[in-house]
Amino acid sequence: MPTLSFPPGSGWPNLDGLPFPGRATEDEQVRVVCVTRDALTRSGCLNRGSLLGNDELSESRTRLLLERHLVSLDFVESKQLRAFYVTKDETLSLMVNEEDHLRFQALVSGLDFPTAYESVSVFDDELEGELAYAFSPKYGFLTACPTNLGTGMRASVLAHLPALVLTKEIEKVLRGAVHIGLMVRGLYGEGSQTKGNLFQISNQRTLGQSESEIIETVIDIARQVIEYERKAREYLVKNFRVETEDKTFRSLALLRSARILSSDEAINLLATVRLGVALGSINEVSLEQVSRLLVLVRPANLQALLGEDLGPSQRDERRATFVRESLVHE
Amino acid sequence: MEGLRVKNQKTCDLCGDNQAELKVRQVDKDGKATEIEVCAECARRRGFAEVGKIQLDIAQIVAEMKDKVVDEDAKLVCDVCKMTFADFKRQGRAGCAHCFVAFDDKLEPLVRRVQGAAQHVGRAIRSGRKDAQLEMSVERLDAELKSAIQAENYEKAAGLRDQLSRARTEQEEKDTGVD
Repeated sequence: MPTLSFPPGSGWPNLDGLPFPGRATEDEQVRVVCVTRDALTRSGCLNRGSLLGNDELSESRTRLLLERHLVSLDFVESKQLRAFYVTKDETLSLMVNEEDHLRFQALVSGLDFPTAYESVSVFDDELEGELAYAFSPKYGFLTACPTNLGTGMRASVLAHLPALVLTKEIEKVLRGAVHIGLMVRGLYGEGSQTKGNLFQISNQRTLGQSESEIIETVIDIARQVIEYERKAREYLVKNFRVETEDKTFRSLALLRSARILSSDEAINLLATVRLGVALGSINEVSLEQVSRLLVLVRPANLQALLGEDLGPSQRDERRATFVRESLVHE
Repeated sequence: MEGLRVKNQKTCDLCGDNQAELKVRQVDKDGKATEIEVCAECARRRGFAEVGKIQLDIAQIVAEMKDKVVDEDAKLVCDVCKMTFADFKRQGRAGCAHCFVAFDDKLEPLVRRVQGAAQHVGRAIRSGRKDAQLEMSVERLDAELKSAIQAENYEKAAGLRDQLSRARTEQEEKDTGVD
């Protein structure tokens, strides 16, 4: 399955009775954090994970979390007093005082949204026993932005679609998804820039459909998109086998010999190698390895790994070294 | 200004369909000028330049309407976070949960546009820990009571007042440790 699934069922409840983060005073922001901390303590969640307060959420720390897809860019850049909770296995997390008071997130493995949704629900319920959520029978869960009202849920599938990109069919597929009311965006890069052939497909609307209906739609569309990718890969293998292999092996060779690698270049090369692995032509590297590297080559992660503060050009050199060492011939 | 106003129902000299809005002066090759009254569409199609708008009324009416809406929006305030509906429209963000009550009428079409629906069908909250809910309830009931009074919905206000006094009593009992 050519998917890595990531930020999936997110719930965005706010607490009742307090202004939303964008309009809250410092005291009110602190209150939200305290109330949440108490709830996490009383429900036993702190035994299964850790809570980072605003003081511990430095620029580099939050960028690290961003690169691991655990927090959003808004959270990184926010000027509010934030907090962040994550379970030990990093499958469940909670952002406090991003655009809304609370934002849950669960990782989905494969397309197993039901399980992920279940774990968010359980987590959500545990906390709800200690907190009062802002909810109206008409508008559902009340969020700062009307685009998140109702279920407040965003189910996203992360799809690796190199063959569709290579065969130039990607535009059609993405437009089709948008037509049905789904949002599609490149995972890396701002706006419509797509790097590394990775796309995030998620529901656009959150109100007027039940949670299960939303999940069903996203899964159905994701399955279709995966099918198109599979067909495109078959087509490549059948008609352009050598050319595709050439491309993937060249990428691998570059990664193994470059002395300078920028984050962007590394991501693009790794994504191409991933295609090679998925097609079965590259056997010496595993999918897990590539996925791991895709996270570790990013700036904040790399610095954390190397344990040093580096300037961009130093990072590019060290990145190249790190990648070479990781992809050594067995 | 009065002199430029044309009697109602003057139709366009060119198409005869739409209401005439503009006066256009045409000068032919002999230097003779004629004035015709045309609708905006014909004027645009023929590339006529505006000489002077006839129906100042329309422009004035539209401007006045816009001002009224803006004023109305600015007057609609959420009692809890003090945000106005004008603010909400500008920022695209609500200030607190109570905004959704305070702005309900105006909010509904907006939500419908954004979401394609305005009624939640997903799961609901279950009743949480009673005292946490209680504390929030008093604040919220108070705010809703104020809104109801402001909206002159006295029947609703009466019901809310009862709820509020019950909630306050419960809270007092809790605070003083009465079971």
